[in-house]
Amino acid sequence: MKSFEILDHTADIGIAGWGISLPELFVHMAQGLFFLIADPPAISNSFETLVEGEGNDYEDLLVTWLNELLYVYDAEQVYLQGFEIEEIGQYFIKSRVMGVPLHTLSKPVKRTVKACTYYATKVEESIPGVWKAEVYFDI
Amino acid sequence: MSEIWNGPFRRIDNWRWMIPREYKKGMLTDGLIYASEKMIADIRKDQAPEQVANVACLPGIVGCSLAMPDIHWGYGFPIGGVAATTGEEGVISPGGVGFDINCGVRVIKTNLMIEEVATQKERLLAILFQNIPSGVGSEGKIRFSIPDLKKVMKQGARAVLEKGFGWGEDSTFIEENGAMEGVDSGAVSDKAIERGKDQLGTLGSGNHFLEVEVVERIFHPVAARAFGLFPGQVIVMMHTGSRGFGHQICTDHLHVMQNATKRYGITIPDRQLACVPFCSSEGEHYFTAMAAAANYAWANRQLITHWIRESFEKIFQKSAHNLGMHILYDVAHNIAKVEKYTVKGKIVQLCVHRKGATRSLGPNRSEVPETYRHVGQPVLIPGDMGTGSYILVGTAQAEQESFGSTCHGAGRVMSRSEADRKSRGRNIVQEMREKGILVMAESTATLREEISEAYKDVGEVIEVVENAGLAQRVAYAKPMAVMKG
Repeated sequence: MKSFEILDHTADIGIAGWGISLPELFVHMAQGLFFLIADPPAISNSFETLVEGEGNDYEDLLVTWLNELLYVYDAEQVYLQGFEIEEIGQYFIKSRVMGVPLHTLSKPVKRTVKACTYYATKVEESIPGVWKAEVYFDI
Repeated sequence: MSEIWNGPFRRIDNWRWMIPREYKKGMLTDGLIYASEKMIADIRKDQAPEQVANVACLPGIVGCSLAMPDIHWGYGFPIGGVAATTGEEGVISPGGVGFDINCGVRVIKTNLMIEEVATQKERLLAILFQNIPSGVGSEGKIRFSIPDLKKVMKQGARAVLEKGFGWGEDSTFIEENGAMEGVDSGAVSDKAIERGKDQLGTLGSGNHFLEVEVVERIFHPVAARAFGLFPGQVIVMMHTGSRGFGHQICTDHLHVMQNATKRYGITIPDRQLACVPFCSSEGEHYFTAMAAAANYAWANRQLITHWIRESFEKIFQKSAHNLGMHILYDVAHNIAKVEKYTVKGKIVQLCVHRKGATRSLGPNRSEVPETYRHVGQPVLIPGDMGTGSYILVGTAQAEQESFGSTCHGAGRVMSRSEADRKSRGRNIVQEMREKGILVMAESTATLREEISEAYKDVGEVIEVVENAGLAQRVAYAKPMAVMKG
């Protein structure tokens, strides 16, 4: 099973992701998001923070959490590459995320991701034991 | 790629195509797309027309759900979408503005001729690149304190003008005079402030750019004279917005509205269209925060204007005043504004959402600077980096038909991954140089995503809006030097 793949869109970019559990799915979606921003660097993480989010349902939770990660990226200027989901329910997520300062990346950042949109967002257990999600980002 | 859209288009005339309200349950009005027959085939290639139909479901929508000929698939609204809602029962939707609040275009004139600049363009571009922070994660050259930033939220361009970044006359030549009124900075989250505080005075990346252009053709001599444009003249066009500050404000309010939409009993076909009554606490909260971001964007473009002037002064060894570096105009193309239009014979106050659309007011409107008022408002339309830009003038017909709106650019036709595939192995900088256009970019990935083929022909877009009467061509300008983030 792939962890994620890119979905084409005329002006923006989407990500489809899979996981054997909801936490794994969320981690793969976050990896997909940061893959759009830059290639993961081969350096160990020097930044760590807690990221929490609330939502009405899994879709809202995923969009909200990915937007929280984008906030950390933009405000702290860090590339995130480690994601540990500590708690996840239908309405709440608590995670620990790790990364490296942007200026330490060896390759330049590929593009700005402005935000994660709610457009055509899906989170579902497509077959028992396989979770799937899709989101589109504003580029 | 997205599926082909198979819904109905009813041809009204050569430039107007209707999606009848019967197409989809929940549509409160018809959809209306401005396009040529040739364009309509491309427009069907993705889900942009479905998004026009979705916008037609917004409570309180007045007239049609409109889309300009640069329409393409967005999220929530299509890019190129325009919707007006009533002040009383109508809604406001952050998805009708987008994340880059007050993304817009500004043109600065010069009295320099092409011959004077052609020999200096390498030096000029290098110094612009050095003076104006650009690219992903770029930080501004000036530190703004929180009280300073709050002043920017309220006073827009005027807040930085007071600090010496520009001329007294500048704000006259900016839509809304560079600031929307009535901003309460309390409606802006700490996160937006944190994200925006270091990004004021930065160009950004993606499709944001700065171009040195030469006016190649004049179509409307009277308006060109009023705007101070003539053939062979060098002008500077910039395209940027409210950076991370605006993105966070949209994110914050969309999140709030996911709940609020249901609470107000509103049903929407796409969650990105989350909306609340304009006259509700959530609606007012969003509108004032959006206005703060709009004002931030005008301050951003003002700071960049100052550094453009400084760069020209250094290269041409004359003051910016002597170089005639006046602002032609500054337009917002991602915004919601309260404006008055005549609907069914009555003057009504509406909330006009423009998502990738430009205000296009005709003659004799008090919102337009006095020097232009007899001809109408300048409308600034960039093409792709290899083509050229158009300067248009607004029309009374646009006021009657499209809530004073017209197109905003060329509009993408190719996805970013497709552009990446098509440009693999090519030297885009060299290709542009062969066309006589010098390009400097922070990122080659951005350049490859922004290749000319990724966009519609801006000339075709302009042909449609002119034939439909939504704006008139005044001048065409060709790029000489392009700075990309």
